[in-house]
Amino acid sequence: MFEDFRFDIILDYVPLVLKGALLTVGLSAASILLGSILGLGIGFGKMSRHWYLRWPAVCYVNFFRGTPLYVQILMVHFGLIYFLLGTTNSIIAAITALSLNSAAYSAEIYRAGIQSIDKGQTEAALSLGLTGRQTMRHIILPQAVKRMIPAFGNEFITLVKDSSLIAIIAAPEIMYWSNAMRSQYMRIWEPYLTASLVYFILTYSLNKLLLYIERKV
Amino acid sequence: MVKKGLMLAFVGMLALSVSACGKGASGDVYKIATDANYAPMESMDKDKIVGFDVDFLDAVMKQAGLKYKLTNTGWDPMQEYVKKGDYDAGVSSVSITDERKQSYDFSLPYFESTNMILVKEGSDIKSALDLKGKKVAVQSSTTADTLMTEIMGTGNTDLKKYESNTLAFLELDKGGVDAAVADIAIVKEYAKNNPTKKFVLVEDKENFGAEFYGILYPKNSELKAKLDPAIQAIIENGKYAEIYKKWFGEEPNTAVLTGAK
Repeated sequence: MFEDFRFDIILDYVPLVLKGALLTVGLSAASILLGSILGLGIGFGKMSRHWYLRWPAVCYVNFFRGTPLYVQILMVHFGLIYFLLGTTNSIIAAITALSLNSAAYSAEIYRAGIQSIDKGQTEAALSLGLTGRQTMRHIILPQAVKRMIPAFGNEFITLVKDSSLIAIIAAPEIMYWSNAMRSQYMRIWEPYLTASLVYFILTYSLNKLLLYIERKV
Repeated sequence: MVKKGLMLAFVGMLALSVSACGKGASGDVYKIATDANYAPMESMDKDKIVGFDVDFLDAVMKQAGLKYKLTNTGWDPMQEYVKKGDYDAGVSSVSITDERKQSYDFSLPYFESTNMILVKEGSDIKSALDLKGKKVAVQSSTTADTLMTEIMGTGNTDLKKYESNTLAFLELDKGGVDAAVADIAIVKEYAKNNPTKKFVLVEDKENFGAEFYGILYPKNSELKAKLDPAIQAIIENGKYAEIYKKWFGEEPNTAVLTGAK
């Protein structure tokens, strides 16, 4: 595999792969943010007492967790975004698809985190005269958030790597440029290992950041 | 400590993947790889590999009197198998380029790939030069990719490279690009199958340089010396023209092939 490894072709593509890395960081950051916000709504929807809030949230999570992200990206790109904008846009489609997908996983993290807090605490808070909303805000959420952080760390790291799938709609991120290198020279290890190294650096830094946040909270 | 552990794990993973690629012996039956994902050149018909390349390979191997087995390995594995010599050759509409010659040997050119531009009705694109400054879709790793990268430049994000022509054409249909460039047979087939979409085909033999497919061999392959005369023989005895007509419905321009070497 490495007997004739060509560092020269990697060097040629370094500027493009780095440009791709910037896009990957931007796309991932936007999707993490949007996905977490949307996921919060869906997570509460899933826990709602009202069937008309619970049912759509359950369907949403089942759909986005149960179908391949690959297909979701194509459906968002050629379907949803085309329908909304009248043309296609790979960057908007990428952020939309990744956010929608991530929201489904985030919803479950929120739900699991909140439901992991002992019921007795809610009962105690309510009997002390706090309203349901106050109980959630001051008693349940501060504890639940702490339990959610490691799960979110997993989800965010997965999202960064999953963003490599958007090369199929030709968004010029890391994997896209790695594919260009692969096609030009018909060699697989130089482009794939270069891409892997860049993803590793990104996810490793993200992991460090999350550990820092975990310690602070 | 954590950092070191992680780096060790990473290196360990790499080492595992290295030991996983063993060498296969070829014996009397030559092992040929393909990526059956490029109709009408090579594609799957249920569980059978069919296409121009398949018939061409069969004719060449018969002419040379050699036994072979054709396997659909997929595009990436084909490259690695052939480069390492696990497979004796790859036949998969592989364009002959100087960059690829650095890692592989190629047979004599056996197919001229003519590219064509597909645009929507009313487009002002009349030649390949009009594509500069426009958004163009191609299938990655094809001759169209090579040609358009040359015309538009390596890092140009207006040139969008897709994993398949199906996606590239869909992008044109949805308005994400101004034109798609692909092999003439594929463009014609697509336009024929979608008559309601009002596509216009633009030919430009002047600015699209000729691109040729070759059989892919590992460096210093002995098979090249055995198959090159066989390729020449079937072009001369008419067998090549017969296969070409079967798949494309017209006579090939074999003078171009013999002139290209």
